[in-house]
Amino acid sequence: MTATIQDPTRRPAFLPGHLDAVREAAPPAELRLRVGAPDFDSAARAIKDAGARFVTIFLADTPELSLVGVFALHGELIMVRAPAGDSDPLAATAIGDWWPAARWPAQELRERHDRAGSSVPAQRRLTAPDADLLDRRVHGLDVFTIPYGPVRSGIFEAIQFQIETGGEDVPQIQTRPFFKHRGREARFVGLSPTDGVYVAERVAGIATVAYATAFAQAVERALDVAAPARAQRWRAVYAELERMACHLDVIAKEAETTALYVGQARFQILKEQVMRLRARLTGSRFARGIIVPGGVRREGAVDLDELLAAVEELERDLRRDRRLFRNTASMTDRLIGAGRLDRTLVEDYCAVGPLARGSGLSTDARHERPYGDYERLGLRVITHRDGDAMARVNVRFGELAESLRLLRQGIDHLRRHDGALTNPLPAGRGGAAFGWAEAPQGELVIWVEIRDGLLHRVHIASPSLRNWALFDHAFPRDVLTDFAFIEHSFGLTPAGADR
Amino acid sequence: MLEWIARGLHKRRVTTPYPRREEPALPGFRGSLTVLDPLNARGELARLCPTAAIAVDAQHRLSVDRGRCILCGSCVDAAPERFAFDHRYETAARTRSALTVPEDTDAALEPLRATLAEQARALRRSIHVRHIDSGSDGSEEWEIQALWNPYYDIQRLGFFLTAAPRHADVLLVTGPVTTAMRQPLQRTWQVMPEPKALIAVGTDACSGGLTTSGELAAGGVDAVLPVDVYVPGSPPAPIAIMHGLLLATGLLADSPLGVPA
Repeated sequence: MTATIQDPTRRPAFLPGHLDAVREAAPPAELRLRVGAPDFDSAARAIKDAGARFVTIFLADTPELSLVGVFALHGELIMVRAPAGDSDPLAATAIGDWWPAARWPAQELRERHDRAGSSVPAQRRLTAPDADLLDRRVHGLDVFTIPYGPVRSGIFEAIQFQIETGGEDVPQIQTRPFFKHRGREARFVGLSPTDGVYVAERVAGIATVAYATAFAQAVERALDVAAPARAQRWRAVYAELERMACHLDVIAKEAETTALYVGQARFQILKEQVMRLRARLTGSRFARGIIVPGGVRREGAVDLDELLAAVEELERDLRRDRRLFRNTASMTDRLIGAGRLDRTLVEDYCAVGPLARGSGLSTDARHERPYGDYERLGLRVITHRDGDAMARVNVRFGELAESLRLLRQGIDHLRRHDGALTNPLPAGRGGAAFGWAEAPQGELVIWVEIRDGLLHRVHIASPSLRNWALFDHAFPRDVLTDFAFIEHSFGLTPAGADR
Repeated sequence: MLEWIARGLHKRRVTTPYPRREEPALPGFRGSLTVLDPLNARGELARLCPTAAIAVDAQHRLSVDRGRCILCGSCVDAAPERFAFDHRYETAARTRSALTVPEDTDAALEPLRATLAEQARALRRSIHVRHIDSGSDGSEEWEIQALWNPYYDIQRLGFFLTAAPRHADVLLVTGPVTTAMRQPLQRTWQVMPEPKALIAVGTDACSGGLTTSGELAAGGVDAVLPVDVYVPGSPPAPIAIMHGLLLATGLLADSPLGVPA
């Protein structure tokens, strides 16, 4: 959080002169604007034209029921709020029609808000998928549709892809998420922030730390407390270990898909070492139950010298395995050119994470709006320009090395500075704020409303949902057998997208 | 390619000797929750748990339902004289009631469905496993995948992964069974040939865990299909899932659950 004092009278330059917008008080790195419902779309359009990235759209209930659009621009999160009054809050916007990135979030909001009388035909419904309902319209001669999922070969999470193919070429893919929707956002309501973090940890289990951190930071910002510096350092250590586990998982799966079994085993061994290191530090292989709103529960249970030795061992092993991986032609041949995403497409869909960074965008929440220990750690954002599966894997290799470097720095900080691990949360207070973190899949933003000390409303903008919309466009020149390579290179989790 | 082989050989053997020998849990690993002192408990203790896994009966006896416990540690922090973590991996049980500790001696034992276990010996240790996700948080999938990594290498025990439910002997189910996954799950189970076994992997699959039961999710696999083995944990460790597979196929006798190791 940057400690700049905001001038509440400053009118953002990107707003057109005729637009009536009131600037509201906000925590650091947030810009909150209140507009009339009829002006919602023109404000959003002005923000888009200024070069902003779409983050999410949802209904907030603090201070009153409002339609909220969230955008990222120049190191700030811009919140545009249109109070609903007596009218239908969703009537104010058609953002999903003119901004590709907003299509799924806007459709999800509309379908959930208006469940009874949905005018969307069943085949096109996003949030209530039926595995048997196929869209039978295909484009071209000898083309048929393969419904792949939600029960899939291998051990994968449930999601369905309707793949149109004539056998080789893939003219069209339709991704159908939300088989796993289990109402996580509603589950927060009425819980204390301390219990709420257990729900946050179980939204997307492989990104436990990112979700716990974003949620805890949202609570801290809403209640105007800060986690102590030492707690922030531990959070960053756990976050980088989580990034390593996720990236190693992606690389091991790519090796498996090429039948490069020794390579697969090598990266699985490295991932298991990270999992075990986390288990020794926190008692949980996913680092659960360690992050709490206000700080962390306890010190990591591994001696810092030992932790450093483990990091150094990972570094040595990884360096060799990476060199081998990159020099194995049977591996790289399958990845180079596969699933190429143009930069303009990635920008239109406002993708985040390694996916965006593999297409030349330098978006990274740790860099754009530094939080916690990332204000002190010097982060290098790794980007590649090719936009193919190889570029996305190379981004991950780069970030593995970067995570190890950040871990060394973090350990060094932990060694030199002592201090408290938690700051108490004020009892019975209220507030509302965003919290964010760069999950291994990309930028995660969580909105939290607290009333009388209890969670009133929580909204999650997951990186997986935002990035998945791009999957339908990831097969420009690719064939069916490239499917697994491209899917793994996305590295997303349906649990996070579906919530 | 030769270099890869050299690299593979360079690493010493990492595979666990489990189940031939016990695999001790990593120090501090939160494997399952245990009750240190069940007697004369106050009713408020039940309120410590976000998933209602803790119960206090009319005789002020305290019990924990491991099938509901998500291992968050709220109770251990608040009442360390009552609750503690058991640092071991094996948590699987063949009945839902056996997950409650301390065990209720009066409870009638649920009938065991041990058909697969009886016939597993005839299968000569060649058991095909299928997985289906009915709404997990994704972490259980990682731990099941880990069974095929060099550390656990479950193939050495004769467990193979199969893509076709028609070839499967064992079905691993994760998640609380969401509405959209209910029918695919039932259909997958139907087409599997007898004898077959179903394993609920993770607290969500055992009881719904933190997921609210109702319109969106069934609140556990046994609300939809008969479960042979429960593997609680959020998520359970790979050895715990291996333990569940061995229990389901009769390759391992029941462990004395509820008795601290």
